[in-house]
Amino acid sequence: MSRILALLALAGIFAATPVAAQKATLNVVTAGDQNMVDYVKDFLAPRFEKTNPNAAVKAVGTGPGDAGSQKIAEKLQAQKNNASWDVDVAVIHQKMAGDLVREGLLAPYVRDVATGRLVSSEASKNALGTNVAGYVIPMFQSQTAIAWNPALVKTPPKNYDDLAAWAKANPRKFGYNGIKGGMSGVAFVVGWVYANSADADKLMKGPYEASTKANWDPALAKLKEFNRNVVITPGNAGTLDMLNRGEIAMGPVWVDMFYTWMADGKLPPNMRLQLIGPGMPGQPMYYVIPAKAANMAAAKKFVEMATSPEVQAEGIVKKFNWYPGIDAQHVKSKLDDKTWNKLFVDVTPQELASKGKTFPIKQYFDDILESYEKKVLN
Amino acid sequence: MRDSGRLGPLLVAPALLMVLALFVYPLGYSLVTAFEAKGGGFTLGNFAKAFEFYRVDIGFTLVIIGFSTFLIGLASIAIGGYLTLGENPRAVALLRWLYRWPLFIPFVVAAQCMRSFLAKNGLMNNTLVGLGVLDVSQTTSFLDWRGIVITFVWKQTPFVALLVAGAMASLDRSTIEAARNLGAGRLRILFEILVPQVAPTLLVGLILSFVTMMSVLSVPLMISGESPTMMTVDMAFRINNYGDYGTANALGFISYLLTAACAWVYLKRAVRQ
Repeated sequence: MSRILALLALAGIFAATPVAAQKATLNVVTAGDQNMVDYVKDFLAPRFEKTNPNAAVKAVGTGPGDAGSQKIAEKLQAQKNNASWDVDVAVIHQKMAGDLVREGLLAPYVRDVATGRLVSSEASKNALGTNVAGYVIPMFQSQTAIAWNPALVKTPPKNYDDLAAWAKANPRKFGYNGIKGGMSGVAFVVGWVYANSADADKLMKGPYEASTKANWDPALAKLKEFNRNVVITPGNAGTLDMLNRGEIAMGPVWVDMFYTWMADGKLPPNMRLQLIGPGMPGQPMYYVIPAKAANMAAAKKFVEMATSPEVQAEGIVKKFNWYPGIDAQHVKSKLDDKTWNKLFVDVTPQELASKGKTFPIKQYFDDILESYEKKVLN
Repeated sequence: MRDSGRLGPLLVAPALLMVLALFVYPLGYSLVTAFEAKGGGFTLGNFAKAFEFYRVDIGFTLVIIGFSTFLIGLASIAIGGYLTLGENPRAVALLRWLYRWPLFIPFVVAAQCMRSFLAKNGLMNNTLVGLGVLDVSQTTSFLDWRGIVITFVWKQTPFVALLVAGAMASLDRSTIEAARNLGAGRLRILFEILVPQVAPTLLVGLILSFVTMMSVLSVPLMISGESPTMMTVDMAFRINNYGDYGTANALGFISYLLTAACAWVYLKRAVRQ
């Protein structure tokens, strides 16, 4: 029902667009929060239109989380048999990228884009178990980590075991948002399963076996025990709020949110981050071009501009505190040391490489969440 | 006259189409998908899954909303009662002016305000500590089931109080005066004379509140991350994380049943009267 309504709403938006006489309208549809739409509309669009006077960029948001990506996928599936599609560039989550590639809905555009050579990360080739090389360029990479308050914690835990021991010794001083209130909590739980089972590699790379989830029972029983000593916060922002008010001393957060809140004065500037071992997950969002995009050439130009080292430095790193989507060394030279170091002072590039994990492949991901619902919540 | 007879269906058509397209169709669609297996075909699997995973949450939802409804009833009787029987005209005027405010505040805004108001080091506790009523070590967070109840009661009481106060104001005051002359106290007048006479209105208000609260996602999502949680959170989670519309619709179907039961109690009463 809501799917159909969403499609109708999207169709309405596109139908209402007056076709400018000569100008080609480039529809850039992005999943994610409002800040993603603002980024396209206020930052990327003016830059693109300046160098491409015949194009007008139109930014459309489809809503936060995987649900936003799902709407983009449903829109593409719906117009599969049309001669050309009205989505020129899309920004989607990792979970949906694999599905879209498998269904043949995306164009293998990376070889035609100069910046394609600046990306070599694992995330640019593998999206939760599906080979997406050639179809995607990461817009940014985001990462979860444990935020901690130096006023209340002397030395932060280095890994999940340390953390569990610390939480036991300091009841209700660690907080996370469960799995129903946002992705930072989900990431914490996924990291917990990686840390407390022998399956971490298999979960990230596959192949899927339905029986694997039985191995997680001890890990989940331990997590249930752990939950007795912690605070369950209301949402990603809820964790940051509680850290800010000193109600909890530690909690998992998205690194970009952490720095953005700090820059806005919503977190004390002495707060620190620790990426605990064996690792916590992060995820990219991808620029993709649908297979039958109406303005293919302009779409490629747009992605090329958006993934250029200058834009990645200025927009992604400096403005939004995300890790760059293209390889870091190409971006570093475009930034002053202060900005660069801010992003890497608590989490070093080496740590990011060794402890920044991906989320599990889709079936395992669902299994982890359902097992948590069944074994930890019930 | 003959023309208007022919025009009638034509005039009602746009409204009817709106109701069909925007209410009946989505309702029917969600009811059908609740019984549909992933590949198609009839199944009760979605309901089995809903009960396996969320039976505690279903019970929790009923208890929280039932308890909130009860408190809303009490609070609105108190407000309506004071507006009708209060003897200090200034206090009555002040209350009349104040109590309706939450009516104009959306649930999501109410939840956002309560989130910083009820927190451990939030506005409420900081004020109490500042006044010397509480010590810092005694403060607790209300961001759990209590926060949900507080937000619901705060938000929905004005609505019911508005109906109840209106009904009380339109009652024949001679019964109140008679009771007063015979020496009845205000509390006795409220519960033995006013409330029985406005009971049908009170019940309608409470049922509408109950149904409204059943559908609220923002309050449980923003106030409490604890488990058990309310059914709306589970529905959103099923769709956003698993793309599982089947189980979500099964939960929706269950909440239709719960609200339908509520409406049935009301209708039965209405018919008897």
